[in-house]
Amino acid sequence: MMSPLANATILVTGATGFIGGRLAERLVVEHGAQVRALVRNFGRAARLARYPIELVQGDLCSPETIDRAVAGCDYVFHCAYGSDGQDDARRVVNAQGTRHVLDAALKHGVKRVVHTSTVTVYGNTPDGPLDETAPRVKTGFAYGDSKIEAEETALGYVSRGLSVAVVQPTVVYGPFGTTFTIKPLQLLKSGRVILVNGGDGLANLVYVDDVVSGMIAAATHQAAHGETFILSGPQPTTWRAFYAAHEAMLGRSATVSMTPEEALKHFHGADAGGGGLAGQMLKALRHPAVKKRLAATREGQLAIRAFHMLPAGLRARISGPGVALPGAAVPAPAQPPIHPLHPSKIAFMTSKTFVRSDKAQRILGFTPQFDFVRGMDLTAAWAEWANLL
Amino acid sequence: MRPIRLGVIGAGAAAEGIHLPALARTSGVETVAIVDPAAERVEHVKQKFGVPAGYRDYRDAIPHIDAAILGIPHQYHAPVTIDLLNAGIHVLVEKPMALSTAECDAMIQAAERSGARLAVGLLRRFAPTLRYTKELLESGMLGPIRSFDVREGMVFRWPVKSAAMFSPACGGVLADIGTHVLDLLLWWFGDIAAFEYRDDAAGGVEADAVLNLEMACGVTGRVELSRTRDLRNSCIIRGERGTLEVGTKTDSIVTLTPARGQASLSGRATTPGQQPPGNLADLFAWQMADFVRAIETGTAPAVPGSEARRSVAVLEACYRRRQPLVFPFESLLVDAASPLRATAKAS
Repeated sequence: MMSPLANATILVTGATGFIGGRLAERLVVEHGAQVRALVRNFGRAARLARYPIELVQGDLCSPETIDRAVAGCDYVFHCAYGSDGQDDARRVVNAQGTRHVLDAALKHGVKRVVHTSTVTVYGNTPDGPLDETAPRVKTGFAYGDSKIEAEETALGYVSRGLSVAVVQPTVVYGPFGTTFTIKPLQLLKSGRVILVNGGDGLANLVYVDDVVSGMIAAATHQAAHGETFILSGPQPTTWRAFYAAHEAMLGRSATVSMTPEEALKHFHGADAGGGGLAGQMLKALRHPAVKKRLAATREGQLAIRAFHMLPAGLRARISGPGVALPGAAVPAPAQPPIHPLHPSKIAFMTSKTFVRSDKAQRILGFTPQFDFVRGMDLTAAWAEWANLL
Repeated sequence: MRPIRLGVIGAGAAAEGIHLPALARTSGVETVAIVDPAAERVEHVKQKFGVPAGYRDYRDAIPHIDAAILGIPHQYHAPVTIDLLNAGIHVLVEKPMALSTAECDAMIQAAERSGARLAVGLLRRFAPTLRYTKELLESGMLGPIRSFDVREGMVFRWPVKSAAMFSPACGGVLADIGTHVLDLLLWWFGDIAAFEYRDDAAGGVEADAVLNLEMACGVTGRVELSRTRDLRNSCIIRGERGTLEVGTKTDSIVTLTPARGQASLSGRATTPGQQPPGNLADLFAWQMADFVRAIETGTAPAVPGSEARRSVAVLEACYRRRQPLVFPFESLLVDAASPLRATAKAS
């Protein structure tokens, strides 16, 4: 059956990113759509350039470039969000950038805008089931708070005659994923990760292809007009299982359990520094992973050469196992450092919220195809290919 | 002697990041013109490097220059080079020399007719460690060579200034990084007897490519190139008496391990009296000095057109006989029935 998006002209913002990138690929390959990608930095477009996708230079903060990119489009998928700079700059991209996209869509008679939001708009959620009827709660962090503003802005255009649908993915992972695929692997490789309460909080994961399928359904279903849809995977899992899957990919265990209080204390302790700055730095420098990385740089090589010119006694005092600076306690055998967990993540990792996508299932026919095992198998195969393990 | 008046054709990332900084420290040349169809790029580069004149069309620069460096999209290498050579302008064209051997031949002929120098920017040939690898292989120290394995890739973050680089006419990672790698392999091992080439282009330009090679000398090897993956950026060469791993980038380290050995020796090759290159711009400055020498002495540059044509011939053959590359994670999608999986299966 021919896709309703066949030959449609579709703009994807954020197409050089994780979700937008996969969406753009599938719109071309599976749906035969004419895809335009809004690109701020062409250097990030290598993956998109594999396809006959029109790369249009533009920036969410520049309404003229957005207007040009939207002109002539049947559909717009708005996936871009502020990902760099200070909080204020990100807030501007999220709120004002969204307005620029919607203004252009209204002006050019776009059939449907699918706005990508996040379940983060629900704030620190209570245990138990959660659906779209839950209140939006600001938490004081730029990402979630500005996503609430952007979502309100988007739905505000419905009364002005623009057809908008909002999707709220949960924790999105899979090939090319940054926050919840590449980052966990990097953290586990470079140190130990805190599992709050042993990681028994619920991780509401969704595989990237399921999110993309939900977004496409939100574009093509009449009944999605003016509606908001949570997109989550078939079943939540625990953060313990999530990190265990990544530990299995890497073949090493690198998690440590803490209570929320311990995690908070560790965060502030790590923040303030202990044992003096020099002591901390020497400790970090003795870590094998750090040593290896440093040795790979020219500066590192120079430092090693300089080190070998020091008198033997001094060398031993700096490098010897368990040797510390005068006055400091003898440190225990080197253990990988524990990555501090930002306080905003502690509640996120302990809550036992079960995020439901029943509404998407009912109205859009959304049926996630990738359970945790299958999604992680694919992610592991990609991570191996991507040389991340 | 009057300095050579040089025009930089193309005001993109290569000109700004490499060519102009290196030119600033090359003696015997004076950069007198910058050319780019994008007026704002011309203006930016003029200001930043103090270039006196800017043009939007390279033909307007011809009366004012003796030599030119070309850092423009690959598909324009041949026509612009030929125009310049015909006007008697010496040309250093970035790699790949062109995208077909027919174009290379026309460029070589234009140089022969006009007497102007034609040099190609395969600057890895100037890197001491890569030259050392060639000499070591020729000396037979590794014994008969069994195989090689090249992995070169970086998550693409080259600060490109336009989408021109991603035009299908320009080629993808094979034409870009692959040309450097193919040139090294041809230089080290001689000609290629047979190959199998796969890439991931689907109506655009490839970001990942895999090449299995059989060299005329009997050595077999594999090359993986990527714009989406951070790879080891090295070539491992396995011989009967030992293994050598050499960084394929310009500022690299070579590691030698004897057969059945427990220890390795790593280091940087050096040429007596010459400071090892610190970065790409150093190496480019050497290449530039060689170009100046070739012009001043009327002799062949280190990498003339005839030598650079060899990697273009392989490039052209690869693109002609390209097969789709299926990623390991895509092949896992094959078991169900959605169109997504059907796509993976069909390829």
